[in-house]
Amino acid sequence: MRILAEGTAPYLPVDPDGFREYVREHKSRALEPKLLSAQEAVARFVADGDYLVYDCNYLQRGPSILIREIIRQRKRDLWLCGKFTYVDVGLLIGAECATKVDCGFFYQGKAIDRAIDEGRLEIYEYSNVVMTLRLQAGAMGLPFLPVRSLGGTDGFSQSGAKLIEDPYTGQPITIVPALNPDVALIHVHQADQYGNARVFGTGIAHEESALASKKVIITAEEIIDTEEIRSDPGRTSIPYYAVDAVVHAPFGAYPGTCQGYYGSDTAHVIECFGAVSRDGVAQYAEKWISPFATDQEMLDKLVGEEKLSQLRANETITEGYRP
Amino acid sequence: MTMLEVEGTKASSFNEREFQITTVARMIEDGRSYWVTGGGTPIFAILLGQRRYAPNAQYITEDGVIAPEPMLPFEPIMTMVASRPSYRALAWGTMNTAGNHAQLGYMDYGILNGLQVDRYGNINSTLIGSGKEMRHFGGPGGADSIAANCWRIILMTDQEKRKFVERVDFISSAGFLDGTPNARERAGLPRGTGPWRVVTPWAMYDFDDERRMRLIAIAPYVTVEEVLAECEYPPQVAEQVETLAVPTEEELEVLRSQLDVQGQATGVRSGWVTLEGDKYVRQTGD
Repeated sequence: MRILAEGTAPYLPVDPDGFREYVREHKSRALEPKLLSAQEAVARFVADGDYLVYDCNYLQRGPSILIREIIRQRKRDLWLCGKFTYVDVGLLIGAECATKVDCGFFYQGKAIDRAIDEGRLEIYEYSNVVMTLRLQAGAMGLPFLPVRSLGGTDGFSQSGAKLIEDPYTGQPITIVPALNPDVALIHVHQADQYGNARVFGTGIAHEESALASKKVIITAEEIIDTEEIRSDPGRTSIPYYAVDAVVHAPFGAYPGTCQGYYGSDTAHVIECFGAVSRDGVAQYAEKWISPFATDQEMLDKLVGEEKLSQLRANETITEGYRP
Repeated sequence: MTMLEVEGTKASSFNEREFQITTVARMIEDGRSYWVTGGGTPIFAILLGQRRYAPNAQYITEDGVIAPEPMLPFEPIMTMVASRPSYRALAWGTMNTAGNHAQLGYMDYGILNGLQVDRYGNINSTLIGSGKEMRHFGGPGGADSIAANCWRIILMTDQEKRKFVERVDFISSAGFLDGTPNARERAGLPRGTGPWRVVTPWAMYDFDDERRMRLIAIAPYVTVEEVLAECEYPPQVAEQVETLAVPTEEELEVLRSQLDVQGQATGVRSGWVTLEGDKYVRQTGD
């Protein structure tokens, strides 16, 4: 196959057979209870140096509880899938948890600027859809996928993409390396104890991320009975065998919204932007994360039931979000 | 000649960002599909266009919301993966839904923002400067796929010298690349696509037969010279530069009271324009 041009950036090594072998060895096909606390799940399944993908983001049905837990446990040297994300990248870099980012889109601020200036952050350039297509390739067990964007851009040159001559049409086509992250964090509306998970409403790449990743932590607003899953199987977004841990996490997307369940906490959302923007992540963590042993304690003591009820009441739209 | 004139009461006072949004709203073609970036001015342009001129224009957002009837207004930042913007859609998908449908050719137009644009319509939203002076920004987000795969691209950006350049500091989203014939196809992008219009608060541009950006219309409160003074690299200039019609009170009513009620898009760094006698005048010193 003729390579016409190629990007120069490092990318997570591509190894579909290795991934299959990992699945064979480590992913249980038995129905096994997987309920863990956020603390246990992050301690067991997020390792220093991991490639991390989270679906959606800290402000929009993201696994915010686990982002905070990663900061609390001082994980280091993570490589982030920085697509469709506002403040998560800034928070994880500001907290010195991450050193590499594949860029689709993230909110840039002084917290990130400083990491670049100090030479402790590398950014590789893609775009949002290109990253979700890399995950798609990873979720299909393939080594790469052709894409009809990215070609000709400077992002292409600073990525792991290649331009090849398509052996079928003879035309140039961009291919991107499959992405099989070490760990995926996905917040869902409902899951059972085995990890059968339901996402209601739109998302970014929850199915692709779950299937493409070696270790998968699901945080769920509600834990439901497996009988309920069996009564409406078309609602299952992620099947149990892709999942390693299930965390019961009501308000796990706080301060973000979880569609149909609660709205975002606007004041806190703006505080997050401020923290990333002015390089104030340390102060943010000192207020919202480190004083508390668990997220629940933070929700109880710092947010309070009255505020949480209000956020629930603010989410007036329920059509499409309940079975 | 006045361009994009509509029925209604001409507004006597509006800001430049509102002018830009109403201009794009009037360009919305009924019965066509649009992929719009979720934040900022593009979503307001399509929503205003639908409400005033093109009820059967449809749009999709990056999180795979197809043809919603959104509940307005949106909360700050909550323009995707949130219940209000995705309300009463015809279908809900994910990011690869949006990407694949555009890749298939279903998206007639893309409307997007950018930090910097060059003579061939290449868009930069990644970084400005080089070496020690380099400053990284957020990345292309969905714009790379919108710019590559929608049939026609409308870019909404600011009329500032540092933003209209000969060559962008970084091509985040493809325009006509180096401007040579079929440069996009040689880079693997779909045939027959590319930049179509660039709309700023002061002017509108198209692309000539050699794929170079060309000034075709200006706002009534600026001159061609003033526009060109805010281009680091001079664009081509059409033989006849037309004047864009001002917003109507009816448009501003929708924009201000239903769409951008908190001034999130229109309040940003935008000067005011008022009718003085028979002339629209920019309020300077802001």
